[in-house]
Amino acid sequence: MTSTTRVSAPAGRGNAPAGADRVRGRSLVARSRPWLLLAPALVVLAVLMLWPLIRVLLFSLQDYGLPQIVSGETVWIGLDNYTEVLTSAQLWQVVLPNTVGFSVLAVSCTVAFGTAVAVLLASLGTVWRTIVSSAIMAAWAMPAVTGTYVWVWIFDADRGVFNHVLQSLGLQDQAVNWFTDRWSFYAIVLINIVHHGFPFVAVTVLAGLLGVPKELLEAAEVDGAGAWRRFFSIIVPQLRQVFAVVIILSTIWDFKVFAQVFLMPGGAGTNREVLNLGVWSYVESFGQNRYGFGSAIAVLLTLMLLVVTVVYVRTILKEDEL
Amino acid sequence: MRRHTFRMATAVATTAAVTLAVSACGSDDGGGSTGGATDAEGQTLDVWIMQGTNPSADAFFEEVGTAFTEQTGAELNVEFVEWGDAHDRFVTSIAGGTTPDVAETGTTWTPEFADAGALAPLGDHVAEAGLDGDLVEGLVEAGTYDGELYGMPWYAGVRSLVYNTEIFEQAGVEPPTTWDELEAAAQAIKAEFPDKIAVAVPGDAEFTVYPWVWGAGGDVATLEGDTWTSQLDSPAAQEGLSFWTGLAEQGLSSAGATTWRETDVLDAFALGDVGMAIMGSWTPGAIVEANADMEGKFAAVPIPGQDGGISPSVLGGSHLSMFETAENKDLAFAFIEMMTTGELATKWGEQAGYFPGQKSLLDKTLASTDPLVAPFAEQFVDGGASVPVSPHFGAVQAKGTTSTMMQSILSGDADVAAASSAAAEEMTSLLNGGS
Repeated sequence: MTSTTRVSAPAGRGNAPAGADRVRGRSLVARSRPWLLLAPALVVLAVLMLWPLIRVLLFSLQDYGLPQIVSGETVWIGLDNYTEVLTSAQLWQVVLPNTVGFSVLAVSCTVAFGTAVAVLLASLGTVWRTIVSSAIMAAWAMPAVTGTYVWVWIFDADRGVFNHVLQSLGLQDQAVNWFTDRWSFYAIVLINIVHHGFPFVAVTVLAGLLGVPKELLEAAEVDGAGAWRRFFSIIVPQLRQVFAVVIILSTIWDFKVFAQVFLMPGGAGTNREVLNLGVWSYVESFGQNRYGFGSAIAVLLTLMLLVVTVVYVRTILKEDEL
Repeated sequence: MRRHTFRMATAVATTAAVTLAVSACGSDDGGGSTGGATDAEGQTLDVWIMQGTNPSADAFFEEVGTAFTEQTGAELNVEFVEWGDAHDRFVTSIAGGTTPDVAETGTTWTPEFADAGALAPLGDHVAEAGLDGDLVEGLVEAGTYDGELYGMPWYAGVRSLVYNTEIFEQAGVEPPTTWDELEAAAQAIKAEFPDKIAVAVPGDAEFTVYPWVWGAGGDVATLEGDTWTSQLDSPAAQEGLSFWTGLAEQGLSSAGATTWRETDVLDAFALGDVGMAIMGSWTPGAIVEANADMEGKFAAVPIPGQDGGISPSVLGGSHLSMFETAENKDLAFAFIEMMTTGELATKWGEQAGYFPGQKSLLDKTLASTDPLVAPFAEQFVDGGASVPVSPHFGAVQAKGTTSTMMQSILSGDADVAAASSAAAEEMTSLLNGGS
């Protein structure tokens, strides 16, 4: 692509001055045409995405509560909301560790498990591949709320299957409430998120896997590379772009986990040890009618995700250049 | 345009809501009409009614709709909203200017919405209807903000000790009248039925906690001048909390109850798994609705006092509030009056297990000898108490201050002293408008 442009441009300039004008005129139209065509979509995006984002940003600089909503007056308080968020002990001791720690774990588990399933799918025949993919699609299609209630029911202290099995096996004398402890609470959330998130990874990675040239793998096998070696030295480098997309999207999803925590017993704010950014923002803004403060948390969450994404995309691109 | 989209969004979001008289644009139809309450042909009144652990109200409101149209000519559009989601929906609709004309508001919310300027004052309407002296005082007090009435007393409910008579008989125990008796009864039940929950001590149900605080002579919070101070960490309150959570510590409750809400208590009780629990006067109907086999197998007594007498319990209740957005305020009050007085109010109270907000009706209910009404009536009259009347108490509830305290005690993360002083500190700050 680039080489053709470079060749044709001097050729055009070499013709005649009048021709150059025409070319420039045409190129202006040509250059603006894509934007004209994109304009309707961009306007819709600006109205639906950009404006709410700007509004949240504006709210985060205000003392914005129920009285302000009703009266319509605006109380600017500068960066006070941000100061309060960033100096809150709860943020550094509970909320941030929960959010970051959980998303690192959840993304690794989801991607690892999803890839394993993709490798399995790639080695299956057509019939079995269809059957297995339909099965995992069911997990994907399950709404987050429904899925969460199923896991809550499984781990319920008094009537849950999990405690029942442990007790029948004699591993546990008394019923244990798994929702009260920070670690076991998030272990359940992790299972829920991985169960709900791995099908997307599996399907995406599978598409990439099927695109890896067979010759490369066969050549490696002839050279004596084992299955692990072939996977990590040939397949993984080939799929770098696919993994980038999958990891970025999973990070974004797992960072802002809300329903899966909020709907668990004690997850809606009464168990302070399990608060994460999403739930904290919700409890503060809707429960306390402090929409400004909640918006500040939301803005910080967005900024963190932006940083994570940018850093990750840059690393991937750099590696590609090498 | 914006208003329209919002309406559609809400409609989609509440697929579970039941609409009795469907109308496309709600209160917008009535635009500009100044017709009196009795000549509101073609207008529609939008009403929100709450749903929770009470029995289903569909049939009742169908009847109300018919009566309302007969009386005023206007259509009634009732939407049922879950208690749990209601606060958020009120707030978002206040922000979007799409509030209903009339809504049921919990007594602790009325001052909050009035403070925000979303509610219309009712004092003049009430005086005009000659209802001044005939409203239940506690509810009037809760619905008054800045000297003006914003919440029309509709009904009140109270929680007492509900017990499973079969379990009590087989364990050979009598309904308790003191805390010691309650503990002994729970131990006897546990000995007879090791797999059952002798007494449910839920962690996420603040109204089941306060009776023990008051019963031991403590207070939730006290007002001095303009400053609230939470008393949850006072020695008396701690004694009450220690007794209540101590029952769970002895294994008389269940591990799961640590994270239970009142709806979970109701479910377990309806399954026959619970010996006794603190439950509302509106739950007997819901218990039988959930499990018809429970009919006649449970009874209630007032919550026992520490050494006899009654431990006070929260007089919770609901107002009917009119929103400032109501275009035909006379029509809106016609509905409020119809619901809160006379025949329909009596019927609602009887069906749902609530006490009416009109004095003359309440007296009749209190004289009832029904075994599932009389104990609650006794609690209502002799053992009623109120949570702090402050526009900020809603913030305490939303923050889950009391539930946080209960869960940390029940799960063993903190002892009563540490947990109650943390809760008291938070409650004091919230009640005074802090965060």
